[in-house]
Amino acid sequence: MYVILVYDAAPKRGQKVLKFLRKKLNWVQNSVFEGDITEASFMELKKEIEQLIDKKYDSIIYYVFDSKNYFERGIIGLEKSNLDTII
Amino acid sequence: MKKNFYIFTNGILKRKDNTICFEPFINQETQKPSKLLEQTDLTNIPEEEFLIDNDEIEDEKENQNAKTRKFIPVESIDSIYCFGEHRFNTKFLNFLSQSQIPLHIFNYYGFYTGTFYPRETQVSGKLLIAQVQHFLDEEKRLTIAKEFIRGSLFNMIKNLQYYNNRQKDLSYFIDYLTNALKKVDEVKSVEELMGIEGSARKNYYESWHLIINQPIDFQKREKQPPSNPVNALISFGNSLLYTTVLGEIYRNQLNPTISYLHTPGERRFSLSLDIAEVFKPLIVDRIIFALLNKNIIKQDDFEFHLNSCLLNENGRKIFVKEYDEKLSTTIKHRKLNRSISYQTLIRYECYKLIKHLLDAEEYQSFKIWW
Repeated sequence: MYVILVYDAAPKRGQKVLKFLRKKLNWVQNSVFEGDITEASFMELKKEIEQLIDKKYDSIIYYVFDSKNYFERGIIGLEKSNLDTII
Repeated sequence: MKKNFYIFTNGILKRKDNTICFEPFINQETQKPSKLLEQTDLTNIPEEEFLIDNDEIEDEKENQNAKTRKFIPVESIDSIYCFGEHRFNTKFLNFLSQSQIPLHIFNYYGFYTGTFYPRETQVSGKLLIAQVQHFLDEEKRLTIAKEFIRGSLFNMIKNLQYYNNRQKDLSYFIDYLTNALKKVDEVKSVEELMGIEGSARKNYYESWHLIINQPIDFQKREKQPPSNPVNALISFGNSLLYTTVLGEIYRNQLNPTISYLHTPGERRFSLSLDIAEVFKPLIVDRIIFALLNKNIIKQDDFEFHLNSCLLNENGRKIFVKEYDEKLSTTIKHRKLNRSISYQTLIRYECYKLIKHLLDAEEYQSFKIWW
């Protein structure tokens, strides 16, 4: 499945969240990640991220799609990170 | 699901924050290996320079490179293909091994150099014994080898039939290959089988000047080195396919050095050559037809030397792009009744072979059914 995830966390936790998410998803731009992920891996992600954040102050929103085919992705302006597999 | 990453840009690959980070070098010019040796006289560099731990210097540079570096999520990597000049350390290799990611390396000219094959985690003594038993028993070996050839020939015929239906008269070649396919049943030894396969393939390649719309001087298969663009494409495509198959073999218990069709122990992991045989017509050959007939690849994507012809970097990029798309093409599998990609199809081929070796189900090589 394809996931888009945005987070908003206090700076001291934000860094941790960023580093953790880099393992699982592609960084797109500040506090936005997206990528193909298995259901199991995503459940793991949700569980681990709960430990990292403070639920009273931080918020994480995610959008789940069955596959990349069901939405259009566009960029206006700078492309901050290229998601190509050919580097 | 997991993706293959192909890295052409020169740079440093490293472990950072428990994931893989790629930092391109600022100066991207590559020199031919021979030139490089001439220019840097190794004797003049003091020994200490080799010994300095680069980490400190790199930490200073880090801020400069922060903008260009790219994080690759480890959990999305199937395997990595390196086509450029890269630097990595044991820390990185340890991490790859931990995450079970094979790293395939190609040299300046695009030839396969080797694979960093992480510690095997899927080992099975039982299967290894079965694999060896099937090799030692001449009859059992021949059964498997024949099935590889049948798959290969059948898929070649399918390719020809596809173009035969598109106003190209290939009936002579189709007849020849169909005959060869029939002869496979009567063969008594692996050498004989290789003979049939060899002449069939020669015939198959001869038909290519009818299939390909461009004027090409492709008469016969030549390697070491390839002599013309089509040969260069075949060589490059086949070596890519071998590594893909090897990557798939790594994911299950098979031992890649024991093969049935090719003599084991020569050059590389020969089981990947065996399995690749079945998929060459489906994957490599079709990419080549598409690249040439749609004019995607052009004369300037090749490099001509004295008597060899090789793809240059741009050409390789074009090929790899097409190859990656091909591997992720999905088809509806009849037996499984769901969509699977070509790459998974290769993995299933390994599973089928395992089943055969363990006497669970007879091996039927993959044959195009559409």
